Amino acid sequence: MELYHLISENKNLIFTDATTGFSKTIKEMHQSLEIENLRSVVFIYNDNQLPAVETFLNFYQSRFTIALLGLGVNVEFKENLEKNYTPYYIYDPSRSEIEGYKVVDASRTIQLFKRIENAIYPIHPKVKLLLSTSGTTGSPKFVRLSDENLVENAQSILDYLPVKSDDVVPLNVPINSVYGLSIFNTNCIKAHQIVCTDKDVFKKEFWHDLKNFGYSTLGGVPYFYEMLQSIGFFKKDYPALRYFTHGGGIINHKLIEVISEYTEKYGKKFFAQYGQTEASGRMAFLPPEDLLRKRASIGRPIQNGRFEIEENTSELIYYGPNIFGGYAERRADLQFYHQEEKLHTGDQARKDDEGYYYITGRLKRIVKLFGSRINLDEIELLLKDTFGGKTFICLDLNDKHLAVLYTDANLNREIMVQTLKTKLHLHASSVKIIHITDVPLTVNGKVNYPLIKESLESEILVQ
Amino acid sequence: MNTIAQLHHVFARAFEIPVESVNDQLEYQAIVEWDSMSHLVLIEELESTYKISIEMEDILEMSSVEKIKIVLKKYGFEIN
Repeated sequence: MELYHLISENKNLIFTDATTGFSKTIKEMHQSLEIENLRSVVFIYNDNQLPAVETFLNFYQSRFTIALLGLGVNVEFKENLEKNYTPYYIYDPSRSEIEGYKVVDASRTIQLFKRIENAIYPIHPKVKLLLSTSGTTGSPKFVRLSDENLVENAQSILDYLPVKSDDVVPLNVPINSVYGLSIFNTNCIKAHQIVCTDKDVFKKEFWHDLKNFGYSTLGGVPYFYEMLQSIGFFKKDYPALRYFTHGGGIINHKLIEVISEYTEKYGKKFFAQYGQTEASGRMAFLPPEDLLRKRASIGRPIQNGRFEIEENTSELIYYGPNIFGGYAERRADLQFYHQEEKLHTGDQARKDDEGYYYITGRLKRIVKLFGSRINLDEIELLLKDTFGGKTFICLDLNDKHLAVLYTDANLNREIMVQTLKTKLHLHASSVKIIHITDVPLTVNGKVNYPLIKESLESEILVQ
Repeated sequence: MNTIAQLHHVFARAFEIPVESVNDQLEYQAIVEWDSMSHLVLIEELESTYKISIEMEDILEMSSVEKIKIVLKKYGFEIN
């Protein structure tokens, strides 16, 4: 496992629990868990805490394939996946028992669930890590990643990020997201201290830790930067902070101006980044010095990557060694690893005279809210199923709101909001529910999404 | 009208919960409805309702309904 090798070569690396201040060196974490070394699947429900990180590293250096998931996903979702993939081990600190599993002590502090009835099946040698793309709806889909994918991605990132060997890095982005994982991997390879924390920036403890540990960098999705702005972060300086990274969608113009003013005033660097799980993380970044000049740009491709724009569709196509090995929707899919030569990003783009790329639209019907991608057709289906087949039309409004249009005036809006809240974890402030009487159609009789979108975005309906 | 009812309505709007379920004991992240997303909405709602701009130090103090009342008092809104 090359990635693990690179991490364990960083003798300077320690992991710290933010709450207790307790630290472990990478050497102390090496094979610290008593686990069988099999070619099977382990599910790790991650909360970015020290035990989850230790479990992840232990399994990464073993023969296991790891499915890395968020601790917070609902139990029904977990049980469905577990029935499908029959993992040999499960790490889940939120459950005390799992049917068909017994609790085993893997170390003094870490417990795992071990499958009672063995169900081992063939897995392709290259499939090392499974990450869930977005979906909390419909059938969950994993992205198959290899060790090589992750190494390539980490090295291309280290080529441009100013990571230093004495850096202190908080894990404030979940490592079960590809962006959080790339923060983890790159800093494990090169930085000094990884601080495991579940405190967000609205908590006093986060700022206490930031000063106390001397965080060198912060990263987050656009929503994270909105949180920073709302607390007035950009008005003052924390000298230890040298640079910022972002991923998971475009930050709005006004906020970019605020950030760029802040970085200029205090001599910080801000890296706007573009990527997807299917690219094991990163495809492009915008150099900090271009932030204001090219503010809506995703920048240029990372080292060893390149873009093409397809002529007819304007779709952005990516080429690079970090392209994934296909999706898995059932356990039989783990037998395969097919790396395509090119990745269809689903985004439409243009390139300017200086070689900077700009996202201009999206081919797939996807809305990005709070940094996660949600398929609009799946939301329509979810509402349709909940309301006995009624008509729903879902659209994205500037990646800021999800518009839900319905035609039957008798439907209960409360239940719509409730459904979106519980199934998709959406906040009602990001949803606009609108009643319409007629559905505008195209000449082919399909829902005329562009027309609806245009009228909604220009109308008063959206403040 | 700087009443407790008005303040409770601000919370109810931000958390999407019935106004009757708002009480002084509510704390940040102690109920599922009061997460970072709704906290962000809450700050905006408070700032627009009371036409104030809350400082970072004060925002970090706003970890319960009780504490938010104390912060509002600092900004000149005594809520009883």
